Formats: sequence, C-alpha cells, structure tokens
Amino acid sequence: MNRALTLTAVLCAALSAAASATTYPLTFTDDLGRKVTLKAEPKRIVSMLPSTSETLCALAACDRLVGVDDYSDYPAYVTKLPKMGGLYNPNVEAIVARKPDLVLVSKYGKLAEPLTQAGITVIAVNPETYDEVFSKTLLLGKIVNREAQAKALVTSMKREIAKVEILTKTAVNKPTAYYEIDPTPYSIGPNSFMGTLLTKAGARNIIPATMGDFPKVDPEFIVKQNPQLILGVDAGTAGARPGWNTITALKTGKVMTVPKELNTMLGRPGPRLPQALRGLAKLVHPELFK
Amino acid sequence: MSSAAAPRPPRSALPLQVAGLALLLLLAVVLGTGLGRVMVPPGEVLVALWRGLSGQELAGNDVIVWQIRLPRVVMGVLVGASLGVCGGAFQGVFRNPLADPYLLGVASGGALGATAVIVGGGPRPLIPAAALLGALGAVMATLALAREGRRLPPTRLVLAGVMVGSVLSALSTALLLRGEDRAREVLAYTLGDLGFSGWREVGAVLPYVGLGAGALLLLARALDTLQLGELTARSLGVPVERLRLLVIGAASVATAGAVAYVGIIGFVGLLVPHVVRLAFGAGHRTLLPLSALLGAALVVLADLLARTTPLSQVGIVTTLLGGPFFLWLLRRTRD
Repeated sequence: MNRALTLTAVLCAALSAAASATTYPLTFTDDLGRKVTLKAEPKRIVSMLPSTSETLCALAACDRLVGVDDYSDYPAYVTKLPKMGGLYNPNVEAIVARKPDLVLVSKYGKLAEPLTQAGITVIAVNPETYDEVFSKTLLLGKIVNREAQAKALVTSMKREIAKVEILTKTAVNKPTAYYEIDPTPYSIGPNSFMGTLLTKAGARNIIPATMGDFPKVDPEFIVKQNPQLILGVDAGTAGARPGWNTITALKTGKVMTVPKELNTMLGRPGPRLPQALRGLAKLVHPELFK
Repeated sequence: MSSAAAPRPPRSALPLQVAGLALLLLLAVVLGTGLGRVMVPPGEVLVALWRGLSGQELAGNDVIVWQIRLPRVVMGVLVGASLGVCGGAFQGVFRNPLADPYLLGVASGGALGATAVIVGGGPRPLIPAAALLGALGAVMATLALAREGRRLPPTRLVLAGVMVGSVLSALSTALLLRGEDRAREVLAYTLGDLGFSGWREVGAVLPYVGLGAGALLLLARALDTLQLGELTARSLGVPVERLRLLVIGAASVATAGAVAYVGIIGFVGLLVPHVVRLAFGAGHRTLLPLSALLGAALVVLADLLARTTPLSQVGIVTTLLGGPFFLWLLRRTRD
C-alpha cells in the first residue's frame, strides 16, 4: 500500500515536471524591450543583480552561477563566486572569460550591448513593482527550466506574506509613516514595491502616489504631514534637522534606522520579500510579534 | 571681452540700481518664504514671522515658515550673494570673462571631501567639514602649483586650477564607483541642494561668506585700477601680486563656505556678473554689490522653482535657466 502511494507520488511529480518543462528554443521580450531567444537550457549563468542571484539560488539553480556582481551576497554560496563588477563599472572582460551561456543584467547598466556583440545571450530582468517580483520569479523559473520550483516558491512567498498581513490587519492603530531611503531626502511612494511592503506592514505612507515611486521630498512636506513613525534615519540626525523636533514621531521616540540586513532585504525584490516584510512589520508593530 | 573698456555709469545712478535689485531680492525672499510644497497663506506667514521674532512658541505652519523656509531662503541669499561677488571678482582679477568662483578647484575639492564622507559611510554632519577642507585644500594646491617664485601669474593660476580640478574630479568619480549605492547622495551634492538648511547651517556659513565677500567689496577700487593693466596699476601704486593673492584668498574662503553645506550651484558665479556688467556697467564698485544682490535673488528664486517643480535641485534650475538666458543676452548685446 505504502509502496503504491510512493510510486503514485513519484509518477505524479515526474508527470507534472514534464508538463511544466521548458521547451527550447525559448523566445520572449525582456525588460529592455528586446526579443531574446534562448537556444538551450542555460548551464553557465552570470547574474549581475543581487535579487536575480537570490532568485536563482531559491530555484535550486545556484550551482549554475559562474559569476555574480559585486553586491550579490546571499545566500553564502554566491559570495565565493568570482565578482564581475557593479552596475556602473562591470568587468566585461571577466564576464566573457567565464564563458557564460546566459548573462542576467539590470536594464539600467550598459552591459547588454557589448555582451550581445560578443555573442553571449543577455537578458535584462528588473522586478520593480510588488507584482513584478512574482512574475519575474516565474519568468526566471521558465528560463532555467525550473518552472515547477518557481511556482512553488511564489506560492510559499505569498503564503508567508499573507501570514504577516493577517497579523497587521488586526493592528488597532496604523501609524502614519515616513520611510527615508537616503538622506537627501528620498522616500518611497505607495506604488513602489517597498511602498507596498510598508502598507502591508501596517503603516500608512505619508507620501501620496502622485509624487512617484521614489520621490525626492521637500522637508517641509514631511513636517506638515507630521508622521507618527519615521524609518530609515536615526533619532539624532532627524532631531538635528530644522523644524523636525516638532514631528510627532520625534516627540514619542518613534524614529529608527532600519537594521543593515533588513535594509538590504527590503531593497531586493527577490525571494526574501516575505522575510523583509516580517522584519518591517516588527519595526512598525512590535506589539504584534511578542 | 575685457571689462576695462566699459564705461562706469554716472555715480548718481548707483543708488537707483541698488534699490532696484534690492527690491528684486526682497520680492524673491517674500515669494521664497511664502510659497512651497505646503501652502501657507500670506497672513499666516506674517503671523509666523511675528511669533518667531517675539519669541513665542511656534506651532503648525509657523514651524515651516520660521524653521524651514526662512533659513533656507537666507541660506540661498548668502550663497547666491557669495557666488555673485566671487564671480565678479575672479573675472576682474583674472581679466577673463569665463572665470567663475570654482575656477581654482574649490568645487572639485569640496565634492571630493563630501564624496569621501558619503561613500565611506561617515556621519552626515561631517560632510560640510570635509567639503570645506577639500575646497580650501584644492585652492592651496592650485596656488602652490601656480607660484613662480613670489609671483602668481594669472595664466598659470588658471591652468593649475583646471588641472587640480580635473584630478580631484577624477578621484571623486573613482570613489563614487566604489560606492555606487550612494550615488544619489553624491549627485545631490554636485547639483547643489538647499534642503535642510537650518539656522545652525546659516550660522556656520555666515562667517565665511561675510568675511570673504566683505573683503572683496573693500577691494573693489583696487580691482578697478587693475583693469587698466598690470603695469599701469603698478605705477599707480597698487601692489598687484598682493592684491591678486588677497582677492583669490577672500573669494576662495567665501566660495568654500558656500559649497560646504549646499554643494555646487552651477552657473550663478559666471552668469550674474555678466548680466550686471551688461546692464549696469563694469566698474567693480558697482559690479560687486550688484552681483551680490542679483546672485542672491537668482538662487532664492531658483530654489523656489526647484522645490515646487520636478526639477528638484537648485543647481539644475540655475543651469537650465542661466545657460539659454546668457546666450540670449550675449546675442542681443552684440547686435
């Protein structure tokens, strides 16, 4: 009986894997708007985006990575891989020397052209909105022939996110919040993927959607909005800014920096999104996570 | 287009010109204090000013007017005035129409100091100090490289300044590429930003600008004599080398103070003295104070535009408005 069950399970798994196996050549439009054709399943991949490196590893394709950008640091495995430079100073020669059959790049760099000319398949993958995190995960799954794993990953990510959302929905007070991503100051709009996370964490973003996804904010606007919570600045810096000592968040001591690891996770539209959300929710609603 | 040939306006016209530009500056200050991302009705602005002056407690929009907008506007006045005066003085002392306050490497030095702190992840209050140090260091290096015995030939100074500036800019860029995740912050510095200018920052900049620009105004008469040519100036008893060093020193101190907190606001120092010269004449006793007034008004208005439009940074506005306007003015006067 037991054996029959196991056999059935194995058969089902094999069938579903076969059903979702990618057929090559695979043609699709990438984030640079180019039509790209993958002739065969890629086996030697260079990832020039930290989020993409994380996604590939989460899809159990970590061993196919032969090089990563300077900022890829998760999971630990990728830190041992050869570094290929950053967004603005990529090392094209080093990439070519690794003989990759696929390079995943950001649409903001200028890597696509020289690598394509060198005869290497290049795909630009930039998840930017919350929904794109999932759609790009599925796309990457298709690219590396790990569609079933990608679907399972997306399902589990959404389940983990739902768990946090159930908690934050019960919060009595949802504080108005200002999230600073750099001190010039830049913040996040509600439609950016980080903004979506902030809302899901149980905060009310003071930045209106009309200001854009990552707007430069006039400090007087922040003082006027008078947020109850300020994230991304330390209390000392915030208090030293002209007029800020009148903001509720400063009066009640609700000003905090985002821990470095959490900050990194929040900036990466990849598989650790649920973890990032949980960390953010803990900062916004510590009372719910006791 | 040496300014030596341009006639000085009749003496009686000066008070009128000063009054006109002072009125423009006043208008800029009123607009800059009254308008912004948050609407504050004029009545409330006046009430806020009164409350602040009489030492009452500030609440609501008072805070925005008194603690955020007004110091920001005053900072704009200081920086704009400083860039205007220094530009005029540099164009005079180098007798070069393309001279601007950043000529001797102040801007690149300031940017290098700021970039080092930002990319190195240093505490934010350290940025102005590093920028000031970098700016003054760059000028010292330029002076040392350009010196020929005890003389400071203008051509060598300009060449040394351009060279020092280029080297320092290259270093900044190299640093920036090491920490590209902080690129936006560095960019904000290099495009000039008056955000977060509070009374404390105004107080920190004031001595540099006051001392530097004040000294330049006192040197105006000597600068006029220098326009007659080095030999003539010498024969009239002007210690040319010492004057040159004094002007460069004073202008560098003022400019270094200006870039320390707000970064590099482009084009004001080049543009403003030319506009003043074309409109009011070239004598430095007119040129320098009028350039201070016009520079101040220009920066305050440009900042108002920057913070109410998507242009977002004062340096972007000054360059976007200044460039075409300058060309238009040039064409018009040639005809």
